[in-house]
Amino acid sequence: MTTIFFATDVHGSEICWKKFINAGKFYNADIIILGGDMTGKALVPFIKDSKGKYRVNFLEEEMYLDEEGKLAMEKNISDRGYYPIDVSESEYEELSADAAKVENLFVERVLQMAERWVKFAEERLSQWGIKCFICPGNDDMFEIDSVFAASRYITVAEGKVLDLDGHYEMISTGWSNPTPWDTHRECSEEELEEKIEKMAARVSNMERCVFNLHAPPYGSGLDEAPELDENLRPKYAGRSLIPVGSHAVQKVILKYQPPLALVGHIHEGRGVKKIKKTLCINPGSSYEQSTLLGAIIELDKKGVKKYVLTSG
Amino acid sequence: MAQPGMFVRKASGLVRSWSVFDGFVYSFFSVNLVTLGFYIFAFAPYIPEGNLLTAIVISTIFIIFEVFVYALMVAVMPRAGGDYVWQSRILGGGIGFVLSVTGWGWILWHWVPLYGNMLAFNVFTPILGMLGGWTNSSGLVNAASWFVTTNGLFFSSLVVIILAFIYISLGMSWYARIQKFCFYLGMAGIVTMIIMMLANSRADFISSFNHYATAFFASGEGDIYQQILANAAEAGYVAAPLSKIAIIPSLALIPMVVFFNLWPNWGATLYGEVRGASDFKRNFISMFFGLVVTGILAVIVLLLFSRVFGWDFYNAANFTFYEGTSPFGVFPYPALLVSFLTDSPVLQMWLLISMSAWFFGWCGTVFLSSTRVIFAAAFDRILPDWMAYVTSKFRAPVNALLVMAVGGVIVSAGMHYTEHLETYALNATLVIAVTYLGTTIAAIILPYKDPELYKASPIARLKLFGLPLITVTGVIFLVFLLFLFYKWMTDAVYGVNEPASYLYLAALYLISIIIYVASKWYRKRQGIDLQEIHKSIPVE
Repeated sequence: MTTIFFATDVHGSEICWKKFINAGKFYNADIIILGGDMTGKALVPFIKDSKGKYRVNFLEEEMYLDEEGKLAMEKNISDRGYYPIDVSESEYEELSADAAKVENLFVERVLQMAERWVKFAEERLSQWGIKCFICPGNDDMFEIDSVFAASRYITVAEGKVLDLDGHYEMISTGWSNPTPWDTHRECSEEELEEKIEKMAARVSNMERCVFNLHAPPYGSGLDEAPELDENLRPKYAGRSLIPVGSHAVQKVILKYQPPLALVGHIHEGRGVKKIKKTLCINPGSSYEQSTLLGAIIELDKKGVKKYVLTSG
Repeated sequence: MAQPGMFVRKASGLVRSWSVFDGFVYSFFSVNLVTLGFYIFAFAPYIPEGNLLTAIVISTIFIIFEVFVYALMVAVMPRAGGDYVWQSRILGGGIGFVLSVTGWGWILWHWVPLYGNMLAFNVFTPILGMLGGWTNSSGLVNAASWFVTTNGLFFSSLVVIILAFIYISLGMSWYARIQKFCFYLGMAGIVTMIIMMLANSRADFISSFNHYATAFFASGEGDIYQQILANAAEAGYVAAPLSKIAIIPSLALIPMVVFFNLWPNWGATLYGEVRGASDFKRNFISMFFGLVVTGILAVIVLLLFSRVFGWDFYNAANFTFYEGTSPFGVFPYPALLVSFLTDSPVLQMWLLISMSAWFFGWCGTVFLSSTRVIFAAAFDRILPDWMAYVTSKFRAPVNALLVMAVGGVIVSAGMHYTEHLETYALNATLVIAVTYLGTTIAAIILPYKDPELYKASPIARLKLFGLPLITVTGVIFLVFLLFLFYKWMTDAVYGVNEPASYLYLAALYLISIIIYVASKWYRKRQGIDLQEIHKSIPVE
């Protein structure tokens, strides 16, 4: 019997990463798996003025903070998945005018975050003996892979066929079908299918395989996201939901019918769907509220024995 | 897309803000003047001292605080799943399940026959009656009358279930489109209705009403208008003048009026990401205007009824219909009465069909929320997995719909054939108000019970009297809800405080409690602790 805790799409939330690492012990899991999209989406500048106060604009509110207030706000920002940065007024202006500089700064902050996260994980996983797999998602820049791969206690699962527990294997990819945002790891459906097929060819027994695929299968209900207009504005106040999942993922699941498929990518798509013999789980994501949505799955020799979605 | 003062990189999910107007449309349709409003206004004669306008204005003011509570909760926990998730997280999984599945699920069984009544009263009877009159078809005229019989009303309830099935099977993207089309069509209808009322006098109405009531609706001979007034007077009913504000007596009308206007927050759980103060304002404004614009429209329309129909007549027609003493054999649906003001069958049909869009654009909501909460509870392993089954071909949540449909048929049959349906109409409001009570209490205590969550939200700095805005507005709305519960439970006029009504309500809650307790026990045996699933994971 093996217990897996699966979460996904923490998007830079410091608190959600900590919860993810601690979830193994909290839920008595043997294995913890993070599905992808670990990096944050925004840099939040703290601009120091001549009086020693820090000006910051967070959640559309401008604030002037002293050192103590700044520390508290930095924690808030990190927990929400954004990166606080200290800049002067001139540096802020410089960044505002130079997209390349902002991109470089993003990479720098993301790598710092990754190093911090690895350290936090190693301190705990080394004591607990819980296996940890991560698989960067379409929003994650490639530079982070090597930081996590350097860890003795974290396995970067992208493109690999990995042994989970001596009985089950797992194939993983964080690549997704095309999105409107042209993110780091997205490709055509054909390419995505090829990536998965390459791994599938090396699986010894599909009845003992877990698919850890970031993109959910098309039309599964785990892939319903607000319909957007050409300006990326949700139509009908966000009430019109349409399937945006991957046809390639749908195809390989129908073809191989593994007992379990772990997916993410669509934060609103929290749910469970049985496709033929495959139990597909998208735990969803509420990283902005510092809540780690997840799933506990218990596997026995026959397949998925039980599962439950969690909100921690 | 970019937020001021922040550098945002290209990442999935970064979208622009949605249109406030689209949010308003949903809210405006949820506080549905033509279906819910005209239906419940017809019961106002049972509180004869009250003034409907005063009750609408006062209730609208208090319901603004409900809008605050829900807009603020969405800002703290957007996309989370609404009342079920908010209550589960703040008050506990058991309370969250029982209040939400009863208030967003089972009680919607009760709304099916109510929707059925509205479909019969607002759509089938008027359209068939007028068509029958113009074509001289006794079949259509008989069909129009049949729809207000017990069998006709039950049939209409079944049609509601089929419509809800179709809407939900089509999916939200289609339903949103249909709703927007119906919004424009329905608005064109109400504008037509207002223009026709402005263009005609009371004398015009009296003569045309008498003509059509006699010629098309077989209401007998003579002055039907006067007969209705006389029958009401004979039963001791005299409407209080509309010019008399009557604040204290009108308070008693509020527990009735909320049947119509307690729902501007109906779409709150659907609103997306809240990234800052402006998104909170968007949520608030769309619900606020949905409520207030409808309130203003209700006042305008009622004043026009008073001018054209006569306030005495409008209330007497409703009173005698429910007392069974009206010579006009069908529900005095205001759009039907207004259609009598023209002799053009095309204009009459245009008015009745366009006004029916108010029903068709909104009736899908009867199972929409229910299927959502059933899914959420099934994913949490409280309800069985099969309830969340979705067909691969049509992507329809067929089992959740069946649960709602079977319950809806049973309750419809029970209500239509065993008791007078309207007696328990306000139970349907009360149970949802109890769910709102749960969310309101969760909102009040949120800043103290889960300070981390609250402080990380865009509303953390919103204060009133030095206290969190969510707490202050929550307390005001809580007082309003407690007033409603007090009135419903102490005054027989609402039909709630009867033994059979209490048993019915208790049965609904008991179903939820039994499911939760049994599920908790069963899952425990499987090694799943339902209490664990909402517990916060330690951070350090």
